[in-house]
Amino acid sequence: MRRGKTKERLFQVFLYGVMVLIGVITLYPFLNVLAISFNDALDTVKGGIYLWPRVFTWNNYREVFTYPNLVIGFNMSLLRTITGTVLGLISTAMVAYVISCREFIARRLVSALFILTMYVSGGLIPEFMLVRKLGLMNNFWVYILPGLISGWNVFVIRAYMDTLPESLTESAKLDGANELTIFFRIIFPLCKPILATIALFIAVGQWNSWFDTYIYCSGNRALTTLQYEMMRILQDVTSATTSSIYGMNEYNAPRTSPESIQAAITIVVTLPILFVYPFLQKYFVKGLTLGALKS
Amino acid sequence: MQRRRAFLFHLVCVVLLVGLGVGSVLGAQKPLVLKMFSYDINPNYTGFEDPIGREITKRTGIKLDIEYPVGDPEERITLMIASGEYPDLIFHKGAGKFVDAGAFIDLTPYIEKYGDNIKKLYGPYLKRMRYSLEDPSIYYLGCFGVDSEIWDVSGFQLQHAVVKELGYPPMRTLKDFENAIKAYMEKYPTIDGRPTIGLSLLADDWRFLITVTNPAVAATGGPDDGQWYIDPETYEAIYHIRRPEEKEYFRWLNHMNDIGLLDPESFVQKYDQYKAKIAQGRVLALTDQRWQFEEAERALRQAGKFERTYGSYPIVLDERFKRADLWDPGYSASWGIGISVTSKHKEAAFKFLDWMASDEAQVLVNWGIEGVNYQVVNGKRVIPPEEFARRTNDPNYIRETGVGLYVYPFPQRGDGQLDPTGNPYTPTTKDYIKQRYSAIEKEVLAAYGAEMWIDLFPQKSEFPLKPWGAAWQIPTPMIEDLTIPLQRCDDLCKKRIPEIVLAKPADFDRLWDSFQQELIDLGIRKAEAIFTQLVKDRIKLWND
Repeated sequence: MRRGKTKERLFQVFLYGVMVLIGVITLYPFLNVLAISFNDALDTVKGGIYLWPRVFTWNNYREVFTYPNLVIGFNMSLLRTITGTVLGLISTAMVAYVISCREFIARRLVSALFILTMYVSGGLIPEFMLVRKLGLMNNFWVYILPGLISGWNVFVIRAYMDTLPESLTESAKLDGANELTIFFRIIFPLCKPILATIALFIAVGQWNSWFDTYIYCSGNRALTTLQYEMMRILQDVTSATTSSIYGMNEYNAPRTSPESIQAAITIVVTLPILFVYPFLQKYFVKGLTLGALKS
Repeated sequence: MQRRRAFLFHLVCVVLLVGLGVGSVLGAQKPLVLKMFSYDINPNYTGFEDPIGREITKRTGIKLDIEYPVGDPEERITLMIASGEYPDLIFHKGAGKFVDAGAFIDLTPYIEKYGDNIKKLYGPYLKRMRYSLEDPSIYYLGCFGVDSEIWDVSGFQLQHAVVKELGYPPMRTLKDFENAIKAYMEKYPTIDGRPTIGLSLLADDWRFLITVTNPAVAATGGPDDGQWYIDPETYEAIYHIRRPEEKEYFRWLNHMNDIGLLDPESFVQKYDQYKAKIAQGRVLALTDQRWQFEEAERALRQAGKFERTYGSYPIVLDERFKRADLWDPGYSASWGIGISVTSKHKEAAFKFLDWMASDEAQVLVNWGIEGVNYQVVNGKRVIPPEEFARRTNDPNYIRETGVGLYVYPFPQRGDGQLDPTGNPYTPTTKDYIKQRYSAIEKEVLAAYGAEMWIDLFPQKSEFPLKPWGAAWQIPTPMIEDLTIPLQRCDDLCKKRIPEIVLAKPADFDRLWDSFQQELIDLGIRKAEAIFTQLVKDRIKLWND
């Protein structure tokens, strides 16, 4: 009896040990970046920064925040993340609902068309020409419309909808509900876990993207995004340290180094999305497993 | 009450005055805004609103709206060409794509008509800007300083502490270099508690070329022609690693490894690890370029370890060779700024570029505004001490004053060139560079009987003309028999050279010979013949 208990306790200790180890391993890259971001740039060159800074400094952050446009960029990133997520989620769910309806005649064809987009894309230049012809250059909607519906997300949501009993929609129909009512009153609320998951995917994608700003909106400063501005800062610092062969730059010691700025930027852009995570997390875990396992 | 009224009155006056001021500024002629794309980022550009930018606008009526690529510039260029919409001015680093797309106008007629300053600035080098033998148009103006003096040289590097400790032995050959490293390492097996490293190399990605293969040409008297060595008599190009002289350089590296002076991590370390070792002050010798390790050196300086920073020495394989670091390739005209076909202000854009080439503009962009950034004392331009201190130490200097911001990539005079008043066009002078040397650096130089590091090297005047410029700047056309073998041979080098250097000395010859045979099997001879033709074409284009 006693032996069994100690054995069990030992096992528990072992288990916790392994968990902590995994936790540390998973967190380490992030902690390392955090430490570098708070460490003096020239000191970082010497190497050996692991979990905490050796020569503490705010300079890297100070350097990042000297750049103008950060506030505009932050607001724009926030706006596109919210708009893009809300519109994207509703549109994607609607498409998913339509192709999950058995009585919809063209469901195979529509599904096939969406599947196609998962394997083939137009490529950068045709896409660019299309956007230009559509008049979306230097336009806020270029952040939202082209990527509004992704084939992958449609199928993830549809797979989840397929697990809902068909009798639900049937009985609603008997009670006189039309498709819109069924979708908004019955299907949508039931799909919450998977929708939360997809929302997070879309939001992270929107928050992180900078390339569309660069390609389509670099002519309009008001449409700049946080990630784009961060990318610019990083390149500025890199070029300031590497292009000293040209002209006057060589006289001016760079304020900091690309590695340190990169670390500070990573932290700055990660934190906001990190705060969203806990709120969605309870759905997130459920959503991923539910969508995948039930059939 | 009284006071309040007076205050209000003043307020109204101020508002009116400000209003008038703004009104008169708005009433003034609006500058013509030219759009420009720049391949290189300039972190100090603030929308042409700095004092120098405003001065340029005042004098020319032109304002530049410069776009810098944030991602890969090539991607941006592809989209620009796809859409057919170009900014007025384009600064490129390889005109091929633009010329193929017909994006540039031929500047030749403009130069004839309006280009007096440009003709004066580039002189004989305008010839070098012609595109090719088939198409001798001038599509762009080169972006580097014309006839720039070289005052900084990298050579091979040794810590000041090493030469000082050993009583400044002669530093000519690899043997001298090796003996110094060896003697110091035996005396000090550790530095600051960590093991001393003799010679460290860096083979991280493309940096392999900089510290592993390029030094082999340099130590055997070749100039930097990238992966090529061009015979100065016959202009035959050879893939430089195939030169028999270089075999001996790698034999030396192999020997260095054998006797434990080569950093065993040389071929596996990443760039940050390499910099970290240097910044810790425990790497005695390097075969690198200064721009690659200057960040680490800065960390050493900040820590006050000046004796651990590096001097540059003209080390060669043996006495037969002469370091060609200062062999001037002449003007390089492969990057530059051009005017697009879609520009609505071609003439104005050209006149602007021509103005930028004028003496007036060169002084303005390099020195700043007279009475603010510099003064003229007895006919000489001087920078006042406080301004000078700001200029060297304040990282925001360029951004705030605009001085030096519009030098590159516009037409520019080189360092050391004098204007008609006898003053240099650029503030960079020998004295300026000497001022930046540390005390120990000056001590070491004095012990070697020199004032600057370049004094230790064979001088520019000792070399003949280099009619092909720098071979690494010759654009490689997409010819299958050239590009494919070249790529494969470069890949092979990255694989074989570490094997050869780390092998037992007894195996060296066998491994080297089989490596050479592999290069031939990959078709390098055909590629060499094609490249030779490219070199000859360029010589013809530039010198007829």
